[in-house]
Amino acid sequence: MTAAAWVCLFSPLAAAALIVAGGMRIPARAAGFLATAAVGVSFAAAIVSLASMLTRSSGDRSETSTLWTWLSAGTFHVGLNVLVDPVSVFMMLVVSGVGCLIVGYSIGYVDAVAEERRYFFYISLFVFSMLLLVEAGNLLILLGGWGLVGLCSYFLIGFEHERPAAIAAAKKAFIMNAFGDATMALGLFILVQKTNTLDWGPVFQRSQGLSQTVMVLVTLGLLGGALAKSAQLPLQTWLPDAMEGPTPVSALIHAATMVTAGVYVIVRAHPLFELAPKVQDLAAGLGAATILLAGLVALVQTDIKRVIAYSTMSQIGYMFLAAGIGAYANALFHLMTHAFFKALLFLAAGIIIHALAGEQDMRKMGGLRHLFPRTYIAFLAGGLALVAIPTFAGFFSKDSILAAALDAGWYGDILFAAGMLGAFLTGVYTFRMIFIVFEGEPSPFVREHLHQPQRDLPGVAMAIPVAVLAVLATFGGWIQFAPFWTPISDFINPVAAPLVEASNSEEAIASVVGVLLGLAGIGLAWLVYKRHTVTLPAARPWRAVLEHKFYFDELYNYVFYKPADLVARALGTYVERPLIEGSVDEVGEETADLGSRVSALQTGFLRLYVLAIAVGVSLFALLFVIVK
Amino acid sequence: MTGPNLPAYLLIAGMLFAIGALGVLIRRSPLIILLSLEIMLNGANLALIAFSRHVGNHSGQIFALAVMAVAASEVVIGLGLIVAMARRRLVLDVDLLTTLRG
Repeated sequence: MTAAAWVCLFSPLAAAALIVAGGMRIPARAAGFLATAAVGVSFAAAIVSLASMLTRSSGDRSETSTLWTWLSAGTFHVGLNVLVDPVSVFMMLVVSGVGCLIVGYSIGYVDAVAEERRYFFYISLFVFSMLLLVEAGNLLILLGGWGLVGLCSYFLIGFEHERPAAIAAAKKAFIMNAFGDATMALGLFILVQKTNTLDWGPVFQRSQGLSQTVMVLVTLGLLGGALAKSAQLPLQTWLPDAMEGPTPVSALIHAATMVTAGVYVIVRAHPLFELAPKVQDLAAGLGAATILLAGLVALVQTDIKRVIAYSTMSQIGYMFLAAGIGAYANALFHLMTHAFFKALLFLAAGIIIHALAGEQDMRKMGGLRHLFPRTYIAFLAGGLALVAIPTFAGFFSKDSILAAALDAGWYGDILFAAGMLGAFLTGVYTFRMIFIVFEGEPSPFVREHLHQPQRDLPGVAMAIPVAVLAVLATFGGWIQFAPFWTPISDFINPVAAPLVEASNSEEAIASVVGVLLGLAGIGLAWLVYKRHTVTLPAARPWRAVLEHKFYFDELYNYVFYKPADLVARALGTYVERPLIEGSVDEVGEETADLGSRVSALQTGFLRLYVLAIAVGVSLFALLFVIVK
Repeated sequence: MTGPNLPAYLLIAGMLFAIGALGVLIRRSPLIILLSLEIMLNGANLALIAFSRHVGNHSGQIFALAVMAVAASEVVIGLGLIVAMARRRLVLDVDLLTTLRG
């Protein structure tokens, strides 16, 4: 069980090392196949791990394996260890499975792009980091994976480094994530001081007796990291900008892996969060707020990838909501189905963007339905899964989250209402996108720039993952249909027992209301963007608020960037230049000045020197005699 | 022990040293300066040997031998420099050698 987990972890790292060591000696395409194969090996190893886990009884499925002690300080030890239990195996399967499809798709997408090998190095390293994060046997290794994931996302978002926008987006993502890393590290410091360990099991045991204040601080630290990584309010602004990266990167980072890390850490550290119920409520509330905010902003976006990015934020809001109220299995189930349909949406959008010479503006698209019939079907399947229409994947996972919210008291009812409103918004913005992009007549831009995907290697490499994901997005949700059959909950619950359990009637209410609202959203989008029978009121001020994404960027600019910039400039003008630069300059000038004066003594006349020596020695002799 | 007393030796040694020092100070020819230096060293040697004999310790004599060796090597270098100057047809006057002036 643990041996397979180690293989799963190190296979992508080995691929990354090989690509670097190989350099120009291996063909560019071989690098892609190598990376895909390595992630495929990870997936196979994760399946082996799962299979051997299923042979054990449900109470005996957690195992820690330590390679060596990595760090020792007095009585505090941290080992390089992995924890293999249902939660981590579940995440390993999602990360490596969806990751494998996306890396395979990249073979087609970045084909003939310069520096292709660098791309595959980064993406292998990224998958390794993510697996390190989910398999980490202690919080320090988790933090290591956490930081590496942030670093790799920086590399990948800024992959097209000749475009300034991509570099700016990469820096923004890195800095926002570093903020989360810092709060997380602070939380860990408190844990080390209070419990003297960072291994999951002992931390959970020893934190039972700690005071409420300590637990709130620790969990706030962890939550800060989770919010930054998962792009939740108030650290969400980097995600839309991260769409500057290549499309498969958007799919990998913003669907299957990185952004779900926050949900994972809340589920993984749930015993800590349960000791600080207020922080749990905060997580759920921020998730609900993000659902609404992202849903509203998505309504006015014009970039196809940004619409999908906002929908990601919104869907992760559902997962935070679920993790916050204690419906851990539901959160992970939605994480899985979301990975399927969001990766599908991104990859299908990538096919269109690729065929339209890199254009991402939806206003220039239109009428693509008949030009890309198969992509249209795939995209539609992803959209229906996103809106949680029955029989598609999102239906099974999202509605059970909302049903669980109904079971969580009056606060849960508020969250339920927010989630339902979010479901309606999801219907509107998803089908606004689909109608604008696929319906109507082909626009002049499309007719001019279109080049159909070919049945060559890149075309096939892109088509296969999309087809697989379309099948998963359509049927993948059937694996669990609460309350009739619940294998995923049964699998996860022994490790992360839920705090809320939806009754059958709550499941029914959530499903009916959710589906009706989703359909209503689709209907509104149909009226406005297909039939054009309803025109939206202009409402300029509101529209401006949405187009500026609720002014979060501007707010952060004024609250953080501007004051820091002012202080730095003031320090530069009044301290750095006069004090630091001035003192260095003065020392140099004074030394040169003194030197030129002293050099007057150096006359070059030998006899003067001899005289000076003679007089000096005589004076010393005289002094000697006098003192004696 | 025969011969003059210590002060007589020291007087001669001091005179030799002073004559040499004066020569180094007032003469311009590097050849004469070198010569004067040798006189100064010999003055010092005489003092060393006189003291050695006065105290009854042979270290001073051995030291005087060492000084002679140093003086010999010094002459080799000094004469070499003077020959080099003469070959380049430079005037043998130390006051004209002021290239190292600050």
